[in-house]
Amino acid sequence: MGYYFQNIHRVNYFFILFALFTIVEFSLFCLFYYFVLLPGLMKKFILPIWILFTSFACIDFFFINKMNDFDSFAIGIESILIILLCIYYLIIQLKVSHDLLVYSTTNFWIIITFLIYLSGLFFLYIMAENMIQDKAFRVQYTIINSVFSILKNTLLSIAFLMKSSPEKIELQKNDDWSDLHSYTLKN
Amino acid sequence: MFFLQASENTIGLSNVLVFGTIGMFAMAITLVSVVVLHQRRVIRFNKQLQKLEEEKQQMLLNASIRFQEEERQRIAADLHDDAGPLLATARLYLNENLIHQEPAVQLQSIFSAKQIIDDSIQLIRNISHSLMPPTLKNFGLESAIKDLFEKINGSGVINASARFHDNRERLNEEQELLVFRIIQELVTNIIKHSCAGFIHLTQNVQGNFSYFRIHHDGKGLLQSEFQKLNYNSTGLGLKNIESRIKILKGSISFDIDSTHTYYKVTIEVPREPNK
Repeated sequence: MGYYFQNIHRVNYFFILFALFTIVEFSLFCLFYYFVLLPGLMKKFILPIWILFTSFACIDFFFINKMNDFDSFAIGIESILIILLCIYYLIIQLKVSHDLLVYSTTNFWIIITFLIYLSGLFFLYIMAENMIQDKAFRVQYTIINSVFSILKNTLLSIAFLMKSSPEKIELQKNDDWSDLHSYTLKN
Repeated sequence: MFFLQASENTIGLSNVLVFGTIGMFAMAITLVSVVVLHQRRVIRFNKQLQKLEEEKQQMLLNASIRFQEEERQRIAADLHDDAGPLLATARLYLNENLIHQEPAVQLQSIFSAKQIIDDSIQLIRNISHSLMPPTLKNFGLESAIKDLFEKINGSGVINASARFHDNRERLNEEQELLVFRIIQELVTNIIKHSCAGFIHLTQNVQGNFSYFRIHHDGKGLLQSEFQKLNYNSTGLGLKNIESRIKILKGSISFDIDSTHTYYKVTIEVPREPNK
């Protein structure tokens, strides 16, 4: 496939992979947010957000970048959206008072993984489109990307190694999260 | 010169990248730390609240047990010190030697014994009434309170009156007894501590709640003082009021009217009609 795009269409297939990765990454995050974490009110917005972003990423890739450039704009928007959704989750955690410490839940570690990873790489992504040809930048790109990838994998490992007792699982699936209306009433 | 400019430009962008990345990373870490620290603080605070609540419950339970013990001791003392000697005296009048006495002496002894037994019956009745006022059981809260207030008026020191606006449907027996005990305790406190000239009680019903309000013109308590005394004082009266209010699932509030002339105590009781 790489050969096909590289030689027949004269397109750098790395850029196709980057664009695909952006869409898949955002879609999986939305799916995770939709099924595991989302309260009632935000659940209505997640599908339109996903549709809008996916459409935008496709338009950016096919018509603005014309399949020949790093998709900084799309990744920048994706990072901002994911960071905002993570901040929203953390704000809800501030408001909802659990008996369970927030850092003893898997969801929290997954969310902070996304938050830290995309915050750290945000500037790298938005500058990549203009500077990807610069050798010094490529070195920096590799270093920063590797550092945050290691950090991401470490945090995700912690998330998946978290052991939840049955009560903790119950608390993680808090009703407050599945129904924002009742949460608002209670608070 | 061009290369110098180009390299300066690249260094500038490189700095933006490094500082931007560090800044964003620091922001994310700060956010996460704030959430974790805040939540820890909230949990600690909740635990402290829970502990205080447990302590309060324990205190109320102790007060209730102490009150029961004191009540038992009082009844035991009444029986031992009053009824015991009376019955012993009656027994003396009715001893075996009575048959050897003159008929007139016999009659006198029997009459005296009868008098003493009547006194004993009255004494036991009084003890029984202090445990459960018969008026309350037979005629309800309104009559019992009016009866109590009549006795207070009889002393001539204080003027007590009660007005029930809506008592068509009585509370259940248990609730009536609890409300009566609370009012009794409040009135006793007013008489003992407030130097009031009058006490006026009104009863009303709103929705599913009965309200009892006591006005008096003495030196009363405010809500904050009630809470403080209830927590710190070693006395049982206020603690008993609070534990009874808890059993009733009601509330009590102490305040003063806007002219600062009358103190008010309002008791709110959810209605559970008599079965």
